[in-house]
Order: sequence, then C-alpha cells, then structure tokens
Amino acid sequence: MERTDTVLAFQGVTKRFPGVVANADVSFEVCQGEIHAVVGENGAGKSTLMKIATGLYQPDEGQLVYRGRPVVFRTPGQAIAAGIGIVHQHFMLVANFTVAENVILGAEPPRRGLVDPKDAASRVGELARRYGLRVDPAARVEDLSVGEQQRVEILKVLYRGADLIILDEPTAVLVPQEVEELFEHLETLKRQGKTVIFISHKLDEVLRVSGRVTVLRRGRVVGTVEARGTTKERLAEMMVGRPVLFDLKRSDRPPGEPYLVLEGVSATGGGRTVLRDVSFTVRSGEVYGIAGVEGNGQTELAEVIMGLRPVSTGRILLGGETVTNLPTRDVRRRGVAYIPEDRHRRGLALPMTVWENCIIGFHRSPEFARGPRLVFTGIFTAVEEAVRRFDVRLASLDSPVQNLSGGNQQKLILAREFRGSPKLVLAAQPTRGLDIGATEFVRQQLLDARDRGAAVLLISADLEEVLSVADRIGVIYNGHIQAEFDARGADPKVLGQYMTGARGQSAEEATPGVATGREEGGRRAS
Amino acid sequence: MKAQSVTKAKRKRPRGWFTVLEVSSPVLAVLFAMLVASIALLAIGKNPLQVYGTMVAFCLGRADSVVNILYKATPLIFAGIAVAIGFRASLFNIGVEGQYAIGATCAAIVGFSLKGLPALVHLPLTILAGMLGGALWALVPIWLKVKRGVHEVITTIMLNHTAYLLVHYLIAGPFMDKTQVIGAGGAGSPRVRMPEILASARMPELRGFLESLGISMPQHSSVNWFLVLGLLAAVLYWYFIWRTPLGLEVRAVGHNPKAAEAAGIPPGAVALKAFLLSGAVAGLVGLSDLLGYFGYFDIDFPKGYGFTGIAVALVGRNGALGIVLASLLFGFLSRGGLGVQVLERVPMETYYILQGLIILCIVIATDVLRRYMRAQEKREEAAADV
Amino acid sequence: MFSAEMLASAIRLAVPIIITGCGAIYSERSGVVNIGLEGMMIAGAFAGAAGTVFWGPYVGILVGMAAGVALALVHAVASINFRVDQIVSGTAINILAYGLVRFSAISIFRMATTTPHVDSLPKVTIPGLAAIPWLRPIFANLSPLVLVAFLLVPFSWWLLYRTVYGLRLRSVGEHPLAAETLGVDVYLMKYAGVLTSGALAGLAGAYLSVEHTGMYVEGMTQGLGFISLAAMIFGNWMPAGAMWAGLLFGFAQALSLRLVAGTIPYQFIRMIPYLLTIVVLAGWVRRTRPPATVGQPYERGEAL
Repeated sequence: MERTDTVLAFQGVTKRFPGVVANADVSFEVCQGEIHAVVGENGAGKSTLMKIATGLYQPDEGQLVYRGRPVVFRTPGQAIAAGIGIVHQHFMLVANFTVAENVILGAEPPRRGLVDPKDAASRVGELARRYGLRVDPAARVEDLSVGEQQRVEILKVLYRGADLIILDEPTAVLVPQEVEELFEHLETLKRQGKTVIFISHKLDEVLRVSGRVTVLRRGRVVGTVEARGTTKERLAEMMVGRPVLFDLKRSDRPPGEPYLVLEGVSATGGGRTVLRDVSFTVRSGEVYGIAGVEGNGQTELAEVIMGLRPVSTGRILLGGETVTNLPTRDVRRRGVAYIPEDRHRRGLALPMTVWENCIIGFHRSPEFARGPRLVFTGIFTAVEEAVRRFDVRLASLDSPVQNLSGGNQQKLILAREFRGSPKLVLAAQPTRGLDIGATEFVRQQLLDARDRGAAVLLISADLEEVLSVADRIGVIYNGHIQAEFDARGADPKVLGQYMTGARGQSAEEATPGVATGREEGGRRAS
Repeated sequence: MKAQSVTKAKRKRPRGWFTVLEVSSPVLAVLFAMLVASIALLAIGKNPLQVYGTMVAFCLGRADSVVNILYKATPLIFAGIAVAIGFRASLFNIGVEGQYAIGATCAAIVGFSLKGLPALVHLPLTILAGMLGGALWALVPIWLKVKRGVHEVITTIMLNHTAYLLVHYLIAGPFMDKTQVIGAGGAGSPRVRMPEILASARMPELRGFLESLGISMPQHSSVNWFLVLGLLAAVLYWYFIWRTPLGLEVRAVGHNPKAAEAAGIPPGAVALKAFLLSGAVAGLVGLSDLLGYFGYFDIDFPKGYGFTGIAVALVGRNGALGIVLASLLFGFLSRGGLGVQVLERVPMETYYILQGLIILCIVIATDVLRRYMRAQEKREEAAADV
Repeated sequence: MFSAEMLASAIRLAVPIIITGCGAIYSERSGVVNIGLEGMMIAGAFAGAAGTVFWGPYVGILVGMAAGVALALVHAVASINFRVDQIVSGTAINILAYGLVRFSAISIFRMATTTPHVDSLPKVTIPGLAAIPWLRPIFANLSPLVLVAFLLVPFSWWLLYRTVYGLRLRSVGEHPLAAETLGVDVYLMKYAGVLTSGALAGLAGAYLSVEHTGMYVEGMTQGLGFISLAAMIFGNWMPAGAMWAGLLFGFAQALSLRLVAGTIPYQFIRMIPYLLTIVVLAGWVRRTRPPATVGQPYERGEAL
C-alpha cells in the first residue's frame, strides 16, 4: 500500500454540545487509498467527528483539510459534492421507497425535474454491477435483508461519486459471512482508488482489514498506529486508558429448578409469523443467552414473555405456573424484571423525573401508595437507596431522566428492576450504547442476580457478550431456536452458522406449505 | 461507589430563576400576542394603547366588571381543567364544546323534570347528570382511539357538530317548553327553550354569603357557588395529577405509553379513564350559566367555552394555579371585549383573534424555554457524572 | 335516487373536499399535520367573496387562495421552525381564522356573518358529454373549479410520483434525516407542503362562497376541513383515494339534502356527514399507512 498524499486531515477539531465536549483538539490524517480505522468506545466522539466530516455539524474550533485545501462543509450537500460519502450505522433509508429511489434521492438524474422509475432502476443496476454489489433496484427497501440494505447505502455513496467513503460501525448488524462479503467489497473499492474510513469498536475486524488505526478516547486522539504492529489488547487499553480485563465474577453453584419454560410458542405480527414453535428452559441460578442477529424474533420473544404481545400457540410457564398471555402487570407481579432493548422507547419516560421513573411499575405497591395517595417518604427512601446501590450518578432526583447519560439511564433501569430481588431477569441488549465501564457493571449485575438464584434470560446481538456471560446459549434464527449449546467451549463459527441459517431448520421445514418467497434464505430486515 | 449523604442534596428543586422564567414566559407571550393584535386595531384606525387602556379601566375600575369577570371565568376553569386532563395523557380533547352542550342538556332535563326533591338532593343530582352527559359524549372518541387507533381530534370535532344538532333538536322538539306565556313582559313569541329549571336544582349566588361577610355586591351582576366549586376542582385536579398513583400513570402514559406498558401500566385503560374524566369535567362547564344564572336551557346558550378552554389550559401550562389565573385572564379579555365594543367601537371579535394569537405565542414561547432549560440541565447532569 | 341530478349534486358537494383533501396530502406527505385546514377554508371563503365583491370572481378566487396561504404560513412557522405541537398550532389557526374573518367582515361590510351576493365565474359546459340528455345535468353548466378539482387529482399523483419535487417531498415525510443527509432541504419541502395545502384549502373555501352558494355565510364550511382530513386518511394519503372518499361524502350530503324532512327531523339528516365520517374512520383507519413521521417536529441534524 502506497502512502502518497493525504486525502483528509483533521486539524485541531473541537466540537461542543451543552454539557459535553464531543471532540477536543482532534488531529490526524487519512491517506489516499488506505483503509483507515477510527476506534473508540461509545461516547468517544467518533460519530460526531464523522458528522463534521460530512457536513451535518461544523467544528467550533479547528478545521478540515481536504486534498490539501481547508474546507468547511456547511451542509451535507457540500460534503457530498466534494466527494465524501458516509454509510451510517443506522441506515438512512426510506422504508417504502425502492432501492433506486433511495439511491437517486437528492441527486436525481437531470431530466427536467421528472423522475422516470425505469431509467433510475437501470442506472442503479448498472452501478451495482460495476462494483459487484448484488441488489435489485426495483425492490422496496423494507423488504430487503440487512446486508442488502447496507449495499444500498454503499451504492448511494458511490452514485454520488464519492472518493472517500466513511463506514460507521458497518459490521454491527452483520453476521460473519456478511462481514466477509463486506471486506471483499472494501478491497474492491480500494482497488478502484477509493479511500475508506472504517469506524468500529470490533477490534478483531479492525486489525484485519485496516492499514492504520486512530484511537479516540473521551473526544481526544490517543494515537495513530499501524494495524500490523499492534494488538487487540493494546488498542483496547488505548481506548479505555487502563488495561482492560473483562473479569466477571460468577459462582460455581449448580443451577436449580426450571423457572422460565417456553413450550412451542408461536406469535404473529404485521401479517407474518415472527416466532415459530419456540421452546427452551431457563433454570434458577443460570444465565441463558439468546444469540442471533437482530431481527430474528428477539424483540418479539421478550414481548411475548412480558405480555406485550399475544401468543398464538404454545405455553409460557413461570415457576410452574402458566402465564401465557397474562397482562404485563401480572407478569411483573410474579417477580419478573425487564430490561428492555430500547431504553428510550420502552424503558423510561424521558421527560419524567428520576424518582418517577424509578418507581414506575411498582408505584402501587404498599410502601409507595396507600389508596389514592402516593407516600413520598417511602418513595424517596427507596429511590435514594436504589440510586446509591446501583451507582447512578446524578445531580438531583427531580431532574428529568433525559438529562442523564446513557449509562446512568441504564443503571437507573437496573436500580428499578432489581430492587425487588426478581426471580426472573429478562435483559434485552442490556449494554447497547454503553461505555466499557457501564458495560462491565451491567454484566456483573446480571451475574450477581444469577448467583442470588434468579433465572436470567439474556438476549444479545453481541456474540462476545453472550459467550462471556451466559451458561447456556440458544441461537435464534427466523423466529425459532435453532440449536442450544453450553457456553463453555462453544465454537463461535458454529454459532455463526446457525445464526445465519446456514445450518438448522429453515422456515419451510418448520411450517410446511408456508412459502417465504425468498430465494437467498437471507434474513428479514427488522 | 460514593459514600455520599444523598438525602437532602439529591432532592434539590430546580433553581429559583428557572421558576421565574417559567412564570414569566406565559406572561410575555400574552403581551406579545396583544402587541400583534394591535396591528388589527391599527388597521381599523384605532389607537391600541387607548383601546387597551379603556379595556383595563372598564374591567378593573367598576365593581360590576370585576364580579362579571369572576363569573365569566368560572366555566373556563372547568373547561381548562377538562382539556388539561386530556393533555396530561397526551390526548387532545377538542370535544369539550360538544361535551358541555350534552352535559348541560342532561342537567337541564334532570333539573326541570324531577319534581318534589329537596335541593340538597336535586342539585347534586343535576350536577351529576351534567358530568355523566359529558363523560358519555367523550366515550365514543376515546373508545375508537383505544380500540382502533382513530385520532380523537377528528372524531371529537365531528361529535361537536353532532351535539349542536342534537341539542337543537331536543330543545326545539320534544323538550320545548310549551307552557310559556306569550305577551307577558313584552315577549312577542315563545323562546325556543326547555322548561325552567326547578328552584331545587338552581345554584345559589355567592351574594348572600359575601354580604354576610360584610362585602357588598353590585346590584346587577352575579357570581354563584360554581366559582367555589371551580376552585375546588382545580385543587382536586392538582392532587389527582401529582399525588395519586392514577395521576402518575396518566402522566407516564402521556409521556411514553410504550414505557408505561412495559412497566405494567395498561395505556389503553388509563387513556380511557383520563378522557372520560375529562369529559365529566367538561360536562360541568355550562352548569354555572345554566343553574346559576339563566335557569333554563335555550338555543342561544353560550358557545365557545370549549375552545377557550384549550387556550386556558395552554396558557396555564396544564397546571391548576395556571388554569385559574388563565381563566381570569380570558374572563378579563371577554369582559374587556364587551367594553371596548361599546366604548371604542372595536369589534368583539378581537377576542377570538387574541385567543388564537395567544395560543400560538404561548406554545412557541414554551417550546423555546423548554429547549433552553434542557440545555442548562444537561450541563448540570454532565457535571455530576464524573 | 341515482339520478343524474343526484350525481351532479354529489359532485358539486364533493369538490371542496377533493380540493382540500389533495391539499392535505401535500402537507401530510411532508410530515406536517394540518388541522387548521378548516380555518384556511373559512378564510378562503370570506376572502374569496370579499375579493369578488371588489374585483370580480377571477381575482376574488385568487384572494381566497392567498388568505389560505397566509394562515398556512403562520402554521408553517410555528410547526416547522418552532416545532410546536402541530395539532395545537392548527387549532389556534382555526380560532384565529374565526376571529379574523368576523373582524374583517364587520370592518368591511358592517356585518359579522355574511357578505353581499357575488357573481361567480362563467359556467363551463363540456361538449359531447353534455349533449347526451340524461348526462346533461352532470356535464353542463359546471363551475370551472369542478374541472380544476378533478384535474387536480391526476396532476397531484403525477407531481408526487413522477417528479423530483414529489420524491423529495415524500422522503421528507418518511425519513427526514435521511433526506437531509442527501442534501434535500427538509424545511423547504415542509414549507412547500404546508403552503400548498393552505392555498388549496383557500381555493376550496372560495369555491364554496363564490361558486357554490354565491356569497359568504358564517359556518358555511361546517366542518368540511376536518372531513377532508378524514377523506385523506380514508384515501390512504393518495390523491385518487381522497377523490373517491370525497365523492362518497359528497354523495352522502346530496342524499341527506334530498331526504324528505318529514319523518326524520332535519337535524338528524344534517348529522349524516359527521356520523358517516366517524364510521368511515373507525372502519378504515387500521388499513391505512400514514407517512412515517407525520406529526413529528424535525430538528436539523438531529442525532440518532
């Protein structure tokens, strides 16, 4: 790889928001034709930096130098015109538009203000063929798999003639096989003279595919190193500032009786079957991890257990008692704690105060309410205790919860849910968007609950998390538990095969006569 | 883990100057709206300062005006509370118009038809009938919203129109008072109205009580005990929202129904309760006029309280004290509108222009303020998270 | 009952709903709810009549549209730039319109609730079709705005689905952040949607006063603005759907006007359009798909 000229240089870039400095004096260079990785944990400032590079934000101090000239991008349009394109972590696709419409939006072929669907489709198809990105231009984006949607995002960028392509956490939603395909695409792009910035926190992949790596921590650049000359551990240490030891403590006590049992549970949603004949058991004192790529029924699984979605067939038992289709309140009353996967949507009422969010769901218990009266002494004693126990850092219990950081919000949810010594903990994507410190804390809390005898159901798209926290693992694909494994000694490659449906029961086998209408056997996008 | 004494420190209320901003922003918004309305005044060749001056003098300089303002504010308190309850659950009850018409109808029917009951029984029964009527008219919109996801705004507005027609039919048809004496006291033709409400269902004026306290009341103006009921309702509303578990549930559902659901609070059931409660309070809106002043229900019964109630709830920012103050404000504007129409020949319709402008200015100001405060609070929270 | 006169009446009554319904589609497709359409129609009705009194029907109708745009501008600034609750803003517009119209009526005509009679636009007759005797009532002596209404439907479809403008407008209502990252001016598109809806609502109002009734009368819109929203929902945010829904409501109104007011009191007959709207929404709303972000305020560069 030749390092000729610098394509993009960040020089002293600083960006501030109320209460936080997202980027502080960031300086590094990206060279022509390289794949340059930018790593850092959640909140390190990677996304903000890229938003500056693509014109969504402007730096408060410092500047960008693009191809030797200082530039300021005031709008995304200017960055695009300069040749910088970004594939966002959360796809920016209009769900009910076609692939072609999504690609040409904002840069429509000049036909005197008209849009010709056939013409657009053929142009996009041509582009896709040239770069080897297989996707149907006339397909609606909401019908595509996640991997295919990512290809559309890449096409968008290429269609606009981008020379510098930024990929923000591209592998977060892909399975191992799709990751391989993505890396092939990146090599193709490199051969065609493009430059790539690769943002990730998956250090294995970063070391595999990139030439140089820049590490950010708390908004600052820690250093830029050659990928060849460094290790995962070294990078992790740079990211966090201390040696990272994911040292989770767990007891060796054998698990108890089965506590949560699902038998043949099926559910539908949006006109299709989202859960098919799901059966598994979680015992008291063990962690059962559900591994799988998002969009295979994990959300719906949590919902049926919590009574937020109806079960069409099958049974759910809790401690021997049938709880299928019970209202949520009754499920929770039986000692079930729920850590939802989207804490902003399902976990907290953001404009309400810390103490209110801390007692929601328990607000009618005798210590908090007597008849039509709320008992504030009881409430505040309990909330203060919980906040202290779970290390929730805040200025005031009366603050709206939306002012807390993501990590503190998640800890607050834990404080709320764990207060009553639950017998079942349902944790869905519990460490998503959290920094390493908070992630460690949450995982340890789950293990502590397990050691106290609770049954813990951990649903996570992060395979590493499942492998390190769970005792047993079930792989979910296409709404069905395809296989179960012991966590100790489980082979990630085998797990990956089940996660993609390369092995295991396909939809046709599960429900004869029901056509899925998909030839690739790819996953539905969520 | 920090070994920190959390009790007092963590319960710190937002700083004083936050509250000052919160209180002053509605006031500033109202003033700004009046400024904009001045343009309309200038357009018809009037001097805004003179007009507003006359308004203030007319309203506050005469005892009968002050009493009248209190009287006019009474239905607005109920209307504001009704709308505010809906807003707390993130529901928009524009149907207060129709709900209070139906409520007044039911109250009137109970009021004139149940003979021989003592006032202690008849009056509360009549009031209850009003509340029931309002709640009933709120049932269909909230049912459709919860069961089928139909937006309550369109259904309530449709029902407003329907209510007017239904009430018109009832007054002019089956319930028309045919016993009226024509020609007595100069009346040329019978009024289209229901029979007179029996004395046992009428709400007494506050006059007697106030005069017993030594306060003398102007001769021709009246205010009745519904004013006191309204203040009581405001207190109950505050208590309900902030001190009861159901109130907490209503707010939780209003802010984030999905999170409430995951916490075990059934959003549909809570929304239903809140909206029916809103309708019941709406049913009270017309009763001050009906039982405390007119004594009968006719087709010229005052309209528009429902829409003014929306403005009251917004200006009062859904708070009990705010609603009471806002009701007084709009009572002031209403009375003032009459005054300037007579004295300055400014059309009364300025009242509605002001209403619309005030709503817009209030919500804009509230939004701007909220954004600013949020930025401030974020700064404080980030400082605590070290 | 299905006579040509009936259909002709239904069509004439459907026109304001079709025009306003199409207008509502523009606004909602850009992501902004416009509850204030009723107020814009009222303003258009009055301004149209008033304008016709002074300057004749052609200018008068344009004045009506301008009134609708003016109110829409207020709604747009409040909803788009200040991101206030769109329903509250729309309601404020309705109240404001009511007051402004009355105020203007008194100031200009000395009467709060009506204007003088006005001339309408010269009538149009469609050749060929009007020659067929039993079709004559439908195709002869039409207000040109009837033609405008029915041409508006395919034009709107073409505009939304075959032009760059339409593609961008729809993207802004579905995923404004995506559109912004691709260089689409989100605020501009929303403004375009809202102002267009105001212009069309104003046009519909002017049609009511100038073409249909011959003068402005307070209350003449009788909730048509909201019924148009229902028509839009029923039509699944598509122009053709709004048209059919509008015809349905027009037909119901035509029917109700012809029912002999003997056995059923006339108040109940007049309730039909409102109750029908509720029934239609109750039955149909589950099968419809609104634009994804309709009603949600948008902030530039909003973080994910």
